[in-house]
Amino acid sequence: MNELRELARKLLADGEVRVIIGWESARRGARPMFVTEPDGADGLIFDTRCVHNLVTYLNPRRDHVAELGKIGLVIKGCDAKAVAGLLREAQLTRDDVVLIGVCCGGVLEENELPEAVALTPENVAPRCHGCDNREPTLVDHLLGEPQPEPPRPAVTIEERVAALDAQPLEERWAFWTEQFGKCVRCYACRQVCPLCVCERCVAEKTQPQWIESSPHARGNLSWNITRALHLAGRCVDCGECERFCPVGIPLTLVNRKLQEIVAERFDYKVSEDPENQAPIGGYRLDDEQEFIK
Amino acid sequence: MTDATDTGAVAPQRYFISEADLRGLAADLLGAGTEVIAPVTVDACQSPSAMATAACLRPGVAPVDVDYKAIADAAELDLGRDLPGLSLKQLFLPDHEALCRWHQRGLEVTVEEVPITFAPRVVLAAKPCDSAALAVVDEVMNWDYEDELWNGRREATTILNLACPVIDDSCFCTAVGSAPDDVKGADGLLTPVEGGYLAEATTEKGRALIEAHAARFSAADDPATAALVRQAADERAGARRRVAANLEIDAGSVRDWIATHFEDPLLASLAIRCNGCGACSSACPTCHCFDIVDEEEGVGRGTRRRCWDTCQAPTFTLHASGHNPRDDQHVRYRQRINHKFSIYPLKFGEVLCTGCGRCTRVCHAGQDLVEILAAIDIAARRPGEAVAAGAAASEDAEAAS
Repeated sequence: MNELRELARKLLADGEVRVIIGWESARRGARPMFVTEPDGADGLIFDTRCVHNLVTYLNPRRDHVAELGKIGLVIKGCDAKAVAGLLREAQLTRDDVVLIGVCCGGVLEENELPEAVALTPENVAPRCHGCDNREPTLVDHLLGEPQPEPPRPAVTIEERVAALDAQPLEERWAFWTEQFGKCVRCYACRQVCPLCVCERCVAEKTQPQWIESSPHARGNLSWNITRALHLAGRCVDCGECERFCPVGIPLTLVNRKLQEIVAERFDYKVSEDPENQAPIGGYRLDDEQEFIK
Repeated sequence: MTDATDTGAVAPQRYFISEADLRGLAADLLGAGTEVIAPVTVDACQSPSAMATAACLRPGVAPVDVDYKAIADAAELDLGRDLPGLSLKQLFLPDHEALCRWHQRGLEVTVEEVPITFAPRVVLAAKPCDSAALAVVDEVMNWDYEDELWNGRREATTILNLACPVIDDSCFCTAVGSAPDDVKGADGLLTPVEGGYLAEATTEKGRALIEAHAARFSAADDPATAALVRQAADERAGARRRVAANLEIDAGSVRDWIATHFEDPLLASLAIRCNGCGACSSACPTCHCFDIVDEEEGVGRGTRRRCWDTCQAPTFTLHASGHNPRDDQHVRYRQRINHKFSIYPLKFGEVLCTGCGRCTRVCHAGQDLVEILAAIDIAARRPGEAVAAGAAASEDAEAAS
């Protein structure tokens, strides 16, 4: 932690960045922190409560953050994949941001705690299982010691997806109808997503209106399926959409299922390599096309 | 003022009702065909979709949600006094509703009304912060236009509150003029006492409900029940003390300070971590802004609907020209604070917030209204301290300007 605070202090004092975006411990647990003065760096923390994917603040459409000036961003390995996504899609220039990587051994599912606690199979964020990027390389500084693998959660996301897949079609339809039925269309899932960077979201287009804005069954299905498909092969599995959903829709299950399909169909896995072109953003002559008859 | 709020307060009359009789009351109402809405505990693990909830498969963890729902059986009524996820708002201003349907043939457009009836319904064990919010929103719903959908539902609904024990340290109802035992916007109050509840009707509607089911209640205004009355008073006073410790502000000073400090760096710095997601507006019992949209349902026909909207979305103020007067999140968040704590109070004499704390609880980015109101209160009443406490925030804002 001292290492992080000292680096942040130095970057600010040297004028290398104008703001460090990291985490602080607040009244309701860890939360994003914006440090603009070297002395403020003492409030920075990194522990198992630091679940937020802060890459969402790099969205070029976030004027109120962009106006602060050059950003130094603290990122975990999973977050680095989101930075790579922005670079890959020309939403960010690498030199515009200083990336401070932290070695991470997993985070908590529930982070609103006054102090950090050690990870257990009961409290670990299920998405951390099988993490392949505990020490990000797409960074300017890497802090901390290499961490052990996160504990295996009682039930993994893959197992939940498989359990759902094993249900008959009618059951799955009933399940998603029930889940999407809860949606109030606040678009928290979109707003917090580090990869939802469209200048104008398709959900906001009215001439013609592609997606009905009413939260009725049809509108909710259109919105949730469109959101999911637009993130196929782009989603970095940070789980922020599900965490921010005020009505508890298990969006991680949709995202993970799509990842599985993308892996199977396109042999593609999201990584922190910006050159690793996503299927949705590229064209390959050897793409599967057996469905064209 | 319209009928919606003119239900006529009456002198409280106290009754005792046992838990069995309270459930019996719900059963009587259901039996008579009256819709009964109440907090209901939804055990996610009992739903067919249990595999969606990782926690269901964990030993010793049963994830439960409490929501206001129309109950089918009196046993569903949850008297655990937890806070439902979403407020009562959706019962009066649904997240979407059809206003009319249209058909177009050539240049000829016909409009078909959507028939709406307001069947009598009863809300049992409502949260005082949720009923109070309805009374606050009544003002705008009857300002320059009388909203017949809102008023129709308000008139058709009888609400019995259940005194709140205070949920957690994000509650602050007493700081904004409400209380954990408020009856504002409701027709009566239930307070837990030994063996059941002390019930009070505070409007004619509430009295009519109790009188129509008199067999379920016993009078509690004689010396024999003095102990119960005292117990209820202690319960209510204890909750008020607990919630007052969470936040103490002078809402009048906050209102006037915001009104005169539109460009203050403190207001400009409040939303730095805000994602502009609008979950706070959805969860808020007093946020009432809506959008009206025409949704085509085939060629030449469609439905005009009204849906919830939020000032936290850029499209809320996007002009047809492309200009947006609230073009960044600081400004949109300032609007949220300004509308709730200054504009609305100046216009209607009511704070557009009842201190339920839902906005803080649903915000996983850490926007904390308790902290924000405390900071504004310091700026308004003890500006000397604000300079020291708000230094970092102001510097953020300066950097932004």
